[in-house]
Amino acid sequence: MILIIGGAYQGKLTFAKETLGITDGDVYTCDTGEIDFSKRCIYKIEEFTARHDDPIGYFESHREDWQDSILILQDIFCGVVPMGAENRAWRQKTGRLAQYLSKEAQQVSRIFCGLEQRLK
Amino acid sequence: MTYFISGGAKNGKSTLAQDLAVALAGGGKHYYVATMISTGSEDDDRIRRHIADRDSMGFETVECFRNIMDCLKIADSGGVFLVDSVTALIQNSLFPVEKNYEMDLPAANRCADELVEFAHTVRHAVFVSDYIYSDAEAFSESTEMYRKCLADIDRRLAKVCDTVIEVSAGQFIIHKGDLRI
Repeated sequence: MILIIGGAYQGKLTFAKETLGITDGDVYTCDTGEIDFSKRCIYKIEEFTARHDDPIGYFESHREDWQDSILILQDIFCGVVPMGAENRAWRQKTGRLAQYLSKEAQQVSRIFCGLEQRLK
Repeated sequence: MTYFISGGAKNGKSTLAQDLAVALAGGGKHYYVATMISTGSEDDDRIRRHIADRDSMGFETVECFRNIMDCLKIADSGGVFLVDSVTALIQNSLFPVEKNYEMDLPAANRCADELVEFAHTVRHAVFVSDYIYSDAEAFSESTEMYRKCLADIDRRLAKVCDTVIEVSAGQFIIHKGDLRI
């Protein structure tokens, strides 16, 4: 599994397309509390974590489904602590999931202004 | 040489940018492109202090609030330009004070195009931007557009500049090129 993280609009999906051969048809864009792991690239995982109480548990229970996937996650956990409890919880769940996925990944790439920084 | 510097607030971006600009100039012309539009006496005082600080480093101050190519009407393109900041130029263009801060996307796009043209035109430039992309908040539509516009020009400048540096807590992460002058 390859994990791609970075801020909003930094070029994470573009990086996956340009360097990992991903096409639009390979991409599942998260917008519910479920993920379609049949697609090779799972995009906007932060939208999934916003809609699921236990993201790590969910990924653990589908472990065999994403071993060869490209997972793209926005690092929403780096900024200001939000005022709202719900956003605070979202921020923490997402940060913890990032740590879990990063441990599991063969490669971790952080995208900064369109440039890759290889973290693992 | 062209440098693009970004990172969080108060992490040392401007200090690095000033040091780079002075070193690049090697005693020659170096310009500070002042991008901040004053909103009152407090800003005026701050701007005066900043100009005094930079005078001691030999900078000439050139005011430019939106379209950076205008600088070249009065400044020598063979000099060194410190543009601090890209963020202010985009903000001034996207939310013009004269139009009561009503969003002007074409103006922001023009501002971005000129920044890329400027990077190709001048001999040396140091661009400073702000990294504002990692929050767990749903922003208003206009704030989201501002983040997107700034990210777009950040990526374009990172692509064309020789060196790209992220400053974090005063430390430098070199994403492209190197820091040698």
